[in-house]
Amino acid sequence: MGTVEYIQHHLQNNSICSADHINSTTGLCEGFWVLNVDTLVIAALIGALIVFVAARMGRKLASGTPGGFQNFVESILDFVSTNVRDAFPGHNPLIAPLALTIFLWVWLMNFMDLIPVDLLPYLYQIVTGDPHAHLKVVPTTDLNTTLAMSFTVFALILFYNIKVKGVVGFIKMFLFHPFGKFFVPVNIVMTIIEEVSKPLSLALRLFGNMFAGELVFLLIALIGGTLAVGAAALFWAPLQALLDLGWLIFHLLVITLQAFIFMVLTIVYLGMAHEDDH
Amino acid sequence: MKTEEKRVEETSSSKQKPALNFLLMGAGSVFTSMIVAGFLVGYVFDQLFNTTPLFLLACGVLGFIGGIMRIHKLLGKMDLMELPEKLKETGDSKVEEQGKDAK
Repeated sequence: MGTVEYIQHHLQNNSICSADHINSTTGLCEGFWVLNVDTLVIAALIGALIVFVAARMGRKLASGTPGGFQNFVESILDFVSTNVRDAFPGHNPLIAPLALTIFLWVWLMNFMDLIPVDLLPYLYQIVTGDPHAHLKVVPTTDLNTTLAMSFTVFALILFYNIKVKGVVGFIKMFLFHPFGKFFVPVNIVMTIIEEVSKPLSLALRLFGNMFAGELVFLLIALIGGTLAVGAAALFWAPLQALLDLGWLIFHLLVITLQAFIFMVLTIVYLGMAHEDDH
Repeated sequence: MKTEEKRVEETSSSKQKPALNFLLMGAGSVFTSMIVAGFLVGYVFDQLFNTTPLFLLACGVLGFIGGIMRIHKLLGKMDLMELPEKLKETGDSKVEEQGKDAK
C-alpha cells in the first residue's frame, strides 16, 4: 500500500448507506444519508464510559479523606465550575453540567488520537477478517460529530435568546445591532451572519485541530512504515519514536486546550444569550 | 442575599479572567468562520431570491467586515486584563524609551 493510500484509508470512515448512495467507482458511501458507524459507536462508548465512571464514583463518595481518583474528579469539577462562574453572568442550573459534559466528552474523544494510529484499525481488521476494513477511531476528526455538538449548542443559544429576551427582544437584536437604527437591512444580514458563524467556528476549530493532529500522527507513522528497510531502520525507527513522543506530548496540550475552548465558548455564547441588553 | 451580591460583583467585567485569555487563540477561526458564514448566508439568500451572485458577494464582504469588528472587540478585551507587575514595568519603560526617541 502506498503512502497516499495509507493516509486515505485511515481517514475514511466505516460507513453504511443504502445501495443507491454507493459510488460505483470507489465503492464508498456518498451523500447526506450516510451513517459513520465508527464515529457513532466510539462516541457513544466514550459517553457511556463517562456515565459509568460517574455513577460508580457517585456511589463510592467519601466525605473524609478522598482517594486519588476522587481528588482528580473533584479538581475537574472545581475547574469547570470556576470557569462557569467566571464567564457566565446569570443563573442557570443547566450550564455547569452542560459545560462538564462537553469538556469530558470532547477531551476523551480527542484522547483517542493518542492511541497508536494503526492499533485499533489493525485489531478491527483482524476481528472482521477484512484486510481493507475502514476504521476511524477519533470521533472529533469527523466533521459530523463536531457540527452535531455545535448545532446542539446553537439550538440552546437560540432557545435562551428567545426565552430571556422575549420574541420582541430577539427581533430587536437582529434589527439594531451592530450599526444602529439607520442600517436595519444591513444589521439583519450582519446579525444572521454573526449567529451562523458561532456554531461554524466552534465546529471547524475542533475538527481542524484534531484532523491536522491525526494527519501528523499518520505522517510520523509513515516514516518507519515505508522508509525503514534493512539497516536504514536503525536510523528511521528511533527517529519515528522520538517524533511520535514529541508530537504526543504537544498534542496532549492541544486536545486539552481544544476541549477547554469548546467548553468556555459554549459558556460564553450561552452567557451572551442570557444578557438582556445586547 | 449577600452571597448573591458578592457573586454578581465577582462576575462583573472588572474582575480579571485569565482563563479567558485562551479564547484569544480562537480569534483566527472566528474571523474565518465569519467570512464562511457570510458566504453561506449569501448563498442561501441567492437561492431564495434568485439573485446569484449579488447576495453572495455582498454577504461575503459583510462577513469580512463583521469578522474584523468581532476580532477588534475580542482583542480589545485584552487591555482589561492586568499584566504581571514585571511585564508592566518593562512595558512602561519601553514606552518611555520610545517617547524619548521620538523627542
